Amino acid sequence: MKAVILAAGEGMRLRPLTTSEPKVMIPIANRPILEYVVDALVKNDVHDIVMVVGYRKERIMSYFQDGKKFGAKIEYVVQEKQLGNGHALSCARDRVSGDFLTLAGDNIVDARAVDDLLRSGTCPSALVVESENPSKYGVVTIEKGSIRSVVEKPVDLVSNIILTGLFCLKDPIFEVIDQCIEDGKYGLSDAFRATLGRTGIKPVFSDGLWIDAVYPWDLLELNSAALENAPVRTAGKIEKQVTIAGPVGIGEETVIRAGTTIYGPVMIGEGCDIGPNVTIFPSTSIGDNVTIEPYTVIKNSILMSNCSIAAHSYLSHCVFGYGVKSKSHLMATGSEAFVNVGDEFFKVPHMGCIVGEDAEFGAGVVIEPGTIIGAGCKVSSGSKIMRNLPNKALVM
Amino acid sequence: MCGIVGYVGGKRAQPILLDSLKRLEYRGYDSAGIAVIGEGVQCFKAEGEIAVLEASMPEMEGTVGVAHTRWATQGRPTTENAHPFVGCQNKVAVVHNGIITNFMALRESLVADGHEFSSDTDTEVFAHLVEANLENGDLMDAVKAALKLIDGTYAFAVVADGMEEVVAARNESPLVVGLGNGENFLASDVTALLKHTNKVVYVMDGEMVRITRDAVTIIDSEGNPVERKPERIAWSLEDAEKSGYPHFMLKEIFEQPNAIHESLLGRLESIDAEGSFFQEQSFSSIKIVACGTSYHAGLVGKYVIEELARIPTTVQISSEYRYSTAARENPLVVLITQSGETLDTIAAAREARKRGNRTVAIVNVVGSAISREVDHVIYTRAGPEISVAATKTFVTQLIALYLMAMELGIKGRSLTAQARKSVTNQLRNLPRAVQDVLNQAQTIESLANKHSKARDMFFMGRNIHYPISLEGALKTKEISYIHGEGYPAGELKHGPLALLSKDTPVVAIAVKDHTYEKMIGNISEVSARDSPVIAIAVVGDTEIGKFADDVIYVKEIPPLFLPVPIITALQLWAYYLAKARGCPIDKPRNIAKTVTVE
Repeated sequence: MKAVILAAGEGMRLRPLTTSEPKVMIPIANRPILEYVVDALVKNDVHDIVMVVGYRKERIMSYFQDGKKFGAKIEYVVQEKQLGNGHALSCARDRVSGDFLTLAGDNIVDARAVDDLLRSGTCPSALVVESENPSKYGVVTIEKGSIRSVVEKPVDLVSNIILTGLFCLKDPIFEVIDQCIEDGKYGLSDAFRATLGRTGIKPVFSDGLWIDAVYPWDLLELNSAALENAPVRTAGKIEKQVTIAGPVGIGEETVIRAGTTIYGPVMIGEGCDIGPNVTIFPSTSIGDNVTIEPYTVIKNSILMSNCSIAAHSYLSHCVFGYGVKSKSHLMATGSEAFVNVGDEFFKVPHMGCIVGEDAEFGAGVVIEPGTIIGAGCKVSSGSKIMRNLPNKALVM
Repeated sequence: MCGIVGYVGGKRAQPILLDSLKRLEYRGYDSAGIAVIGEGVQCFKAEGEIAVLEASMPEMEGTVGVAHTRWATQGRPTTENAHPFVGCQNKVAVVHNGIITNFMALRESLVADGHEFSSDTDTEVFAHLVEANLENGDLMDAVKAALKLIDGTYAFAVVADGMEEVVAARNESPLVVGLGNGENFLASDVTALLKHTNKVVYVMDGEMVRITRDAVTIIDSEGNPVERKPERIAWSLEDAEKSGYPHFMLKEIFEQPNAIHESLLGRLESIDAEGSFFQEQSFSSIKIVACGTSYHAGLVGKYVIEELARIPTTVQISSEYRYSTAARENPLVVLITQSGETLDTIAAAREARKRGNRTVAIVNVVGSAISREVDHVIYTRAGPEISVAATKTFVTQLIALYLMAMELGIKGRSLTAQARKSVTNQLRNLPRAVQDVLNQAQTIESLANKHSKARDMFFMGRNIHYPISLEGALKTKEISYIHGEGYPAGELKHGPLALLSKDTPVVAIAVKDHTYEKMIGNISEVSARDSPVIAIAVVGDTEIGKFADDVIYVKEIPPLFLPVPIITALQLWAYYLAKARGCPIDKPRNIAKTVTVE
């Protein structure tokens, strides 16, 4: 069976982390979210994959190439305008026929979830899970073993069962999508609603893993879940008097200098220069080509590739995008926080700050928990950042 | 230059040869042909790209064959002059990459002996010579006898009626054998073989090779058997697919952040970790020798080496190097070539050794010819580059030059440990600086669309950006066919200003360094002639917009490292100009990727 992965959207709620790549490429335990999806398919012997790409598609194509490295054969189709996931799926219509799988590229699924859907043996069918927070998703009600209704992001609680974005579909779905598009409805759930009366869609419950990151701070949870199962390989150069406890992955040509202490699970990429005397606590992922100078402490954070953090800094529960640079004494502590995204405020039990790619901090910058700092911001020495900064803001 | 392939095994040869040939199309594509041994020698050729051959050729049965894609050097690109060539009796078929210099004399004597020729090429001579020597029935002997008569450069592959083998020979043109299971392959380049095998054996100059279904026999020029261990190629075929991109060139431009990362990996502390090439000797001067895009990398290298290592550096075009007389001093000669097969550069390496100079090659292809001609090799690790227009290999050549300059600077004590650390940090920044330009691809595309109708275009810069102007102009002319010319900005008033008008856009590199004021002056000079000015400037430059019509902004990093993001912007600029003009971007007319002729 072929699979179509929808990977065209930006994932706007994760801004500023999506400045130069779509949500599906955000690294979790140093692998893009999309790689987990591809992996889950390949483990179930689904090798023929069509990826619908759009926003910053080059990042996806350059990483996955033709899929051979991942055990898959990947073709790409382009959704020029990101109108909705129904429209995205219809872009792949020439590449599939009969029964096929459809997956959302921006949720982590494991092989078991895919297996459960495949083994249910019926098509059309949809993988569903119970959610604590159904209002962010497509919520379904079930009657006599069949899905009766689909409500997208309901305000009132109808049910706690949500669609995961993982479906087995038949090709007549494309005609239904066409009709919906004519009526100006571009979502996949619109098309499902239109088919419910006719063919019916079977819900399939799964014990497999399905996790989504809607907001930037959700990435930390995803990261620690993924690190629990991540394969650990230690390469690079580890100097004397380095303490490593628990599962710690270290990439090729990375140098861990004397006196550094790392408590796993921690994942460190290739070509990094860490220490001397740095301390890293769980559950932390550090990308490629990252430098961390002496006496810096990092806790439960994600640092993407090419970041550099100078001496005496403290980072807890933070997500730093690609190429963030900081001079010494950066203080980014974590605690309970109220975070502002768009017009909404969220209460997050424990978080530090979210920093967009290529932001630069002078020495001694203090960042309040719950702050979101835009891509390419420049913050001068001694500043205290207490509220969100838009992209390319200058703080003098 | 041309591309050759050969096959012998248990499968139908035709589709395998054709598929392999397509991967060599970058080496030449003005005509192509194929010969398969079945019921006699079946041979078919066609003028034009390989697709033309594929569409017009008949089905051929048989499991032994050779094929060729041509880039004309001797004789016009026509069907008659396409390879393979067969002899008068239609018993052998020959494909050839190279030039036979004494072919006129040989041809006259063959004609006198009654041989009839069907083409104007040098290669046909060889087909007749092999056929004439085939009387005792051993193809290897016949080829050996024919080789004795010819002078020149070559990679030949020959098949003969009724024989289940391909015989090949090499002299200064690339040739590699691919080892399969019950089948073996031959090609000019490993990319043609990767679909079938990753185990290869390189054939060296002066050697001959016979491949059969189960055996590969190499002999040297004296006829002694050669034992050579197969090498495993780490590149997989996926690296040679377009993977969703419309062109290899765009794919390769977008791979640059990763190529830079690969190129830096493990080398920031020393580029020569195992050896001691740079540590054991000191050099009072450096001479960089290269062609084309690599030459431009060399020009950038001059500024980098002089700044970081304070060693006087000169740069010379490979084909001109031999005409310079050996100076009294003894420079380190640095040869830069993507493929490692560029004949002019290999010849320069030999000349340098003859003059007693130490030599270093900066090269992308592992195991290529030049690595055997020099004292030390620095690989650029860019991965395979298919597009004729070099992009990621240029950028990684620059990385190699930064690293080498740093090494020499430390050795010569012009660079302190502290200064080195700062250079290292700047190098680590480069993948992000390039990514930042890639993020602006759409802006650059719309700018390029605005100027795609231009017939001429000038590129100007000062200091280290002068060679980048040259490279921007080269990219533009080779793929968009717009006449692009790069100039040191100070030289415009010594001639080119006369050519400027509202129809000649000028691309000006004006970054915030000690040349900035002067560049602004040059831009004003140009705008006064009504030329539209596209400036490349750094983020945070609020002045430039007042002088230029359009601006492409790159991240502000120290000027010494700006060539890397700026050339990325110019590569995209050239790409989108060519796209707007509907040019065949990966395969521009009349040029080939690796030039294996002089």
